[in-house]
Amino acid sequence: MTANILILCAAGMLVTAYLMVGQKALFTAIRLYGAQSLLLAIVAATIAISESRPELFFTVVLTVALKVILIPWFLMRTVDRIGIHREIEPFLNVPASLLVCLGLTVVGYRVSSGFEGGARGVGHHLIGVALSLLLIGLFLMVTRRKAITQVLALLTVENSVFLVAVGVTTGMPLVVELGISFDVIVAVLVLGILVQRIVDRFESMDVSRLSKLKG
Amino acid sequence: MIPDPFFTMGAAVLHAAGMLAMAPLLKTVIKKMKARLQNRYGPPLLQGYYDLAKLLRKEPVRSETASWVYVAGPRVYFAAAVAATTLVPVLFAWAPLEDAGGILLLVGTLALGRFALATAALDTGSPFGGMGASRDMTIAALAEPALMLGLFASALAAGTMNLGVLVRGLVEQGPAWHPSDLLAFAGLFVIVIAETGRIPVDNPATHLELTMIHEAMVLEYAGPDLALVEWASAVKELLYLTLLVNLFMPIGIATSGDAGAVLVALLAWTGKVLLLAIAVTVTESTNAKLRLFRVPELLSVSLGLAFLALAIRFL
Repeated sequence: MTANILILCAAGMLVTAYLMVGQKALFTAIRLYGAQSLLLAIVAATIAISESRPELFFTVVLTVALKVILIPWFLMRTVDRIGIHREIEPFLNVPASLLVCLGLTVVGYRVSSGFEGGARGVGHHLIGVALSLLLIGLFLMVTRRKAITQVLALLTVENSVFLVAVGVTTGMPLVVELGISFDVIVAVLVLGILVQRIVDRFESMDVSRLSKLKG
Repeated sequence: MIPDPFFTMGAAVLHAAGMLAMAPLLKTVIKKMKARLQNRYGPPLLQGYYDLAKLLRKEPVRSETASWVYVAGPRVYFAAAVAATTLVPVLFAWAPLEDAGGILLLVGTLALGRFALATAALDTGSPFGGMGASRDMTIAALAEPALMLGLFASALAAGTMNLGVLVRGLVEQGPAWHPSDLLAFAGLFVIVIAETGRIPVDNPATHLELTMIHEAMVLEYAGPDLALVEWASAVKELLYLTLLVNLFMPIGIATSGDAGAVLVALLAWTGKVLLLAIAVTVTESTNAKLRLFRVPELLSVSLGLAFLALAIRFL
């Protein structure tokens, strides 16, 4: 039963990543990130209950509070405030991006079977999904123009690392976890402010314009 | 064991009749739920039947330039939809004509219906018909491979293309809990929305948009011809939802013929289809219609998910 929930949630995270690649509305992308984080929280809660590791519940609360509620809210507020065109304009069109992501998922899954204990069962799927998410996140970061979508890609990468840390290892110490969560929230805040600055200065969130000289 | 041909034929007729009887209800239920979400009362639950009865009583009005293709279109479309229902298990882990063929025959039969309707729409030479046909075919060209890949992903799990055997295998081994199932389900759900002409892809409620797809194709039909098209579309919708619930949530399907099991199967099927109908309604109510040129992007996502579902089985 536990394994089933874990696999289902991991697959759900992969689906949200693909939907993020495939659609262009900025708000939907932010909501998808929220949904992805919620699935991550469910993974953590399931493991906490099945392996009776109560300290993981702290992770669950932290994940829900920060990544499901606070960060999406903050990002939406930023988008609202700078009043940008609410559409993502990727460098690569959607079908091509999807093809690349399919390849990345295959790579992620192939690599995951090389890990010890990753060759079969739940671990295989968890590591496979996490590696795919990592690669897809990196891919999104290099192909998206808007600073906000790059923040979202970074957060996806963070989610994938968290998935492995929670699902496969014996867990991180509380201090490390607090530190990571704090890092993420600070990163999002700083990036949010940075995005507003970019928009103020260049009247656009398009990072490809940053390399142009302004005279 | 060779099944008794009379029994098979009788079962097939009953099966198709049941699906035909339930289909207008599903359409109205979705309309009603959508209306409730918009703070309207919506039509009474039997409205689908009233509409069909009214249309069937009217005389068919056909354009003077229409040939036999135009007349045959709705009939072939209807016949294909009805034939397709006999290939899919509904209440029992068994379909009446399952020996005739599996997934490929199902997809092919539905494609035949679509082809007939598209050629019929082109027949009168009116601009709307041609536009609708061209758009419908564009979407079908993308949706069909995704539908096939998604179905293949679950066929691969059971090792058979025959839908009856497939569902029996699923019922026996229980849900397999493989990431591939969720990916295939997500992909197929998008396809169902596209194939039934629902909102992110097409708007079933209006004739006033230049973006209409299915409605543009059948714009010229009236009376009994229109009734056949509408009825067949409703049957197709019910068929797709049934296919999804029976392949991905094989709970409560009857494996024997005794009354208790059949009752459980009936309740389970109604509940599951209703659940999926709610999902369709919510999707339709919370999304804006996509621009036509954005539709291929959405479909490519579902194609990607379906392909991944298939690929992950081997990884």
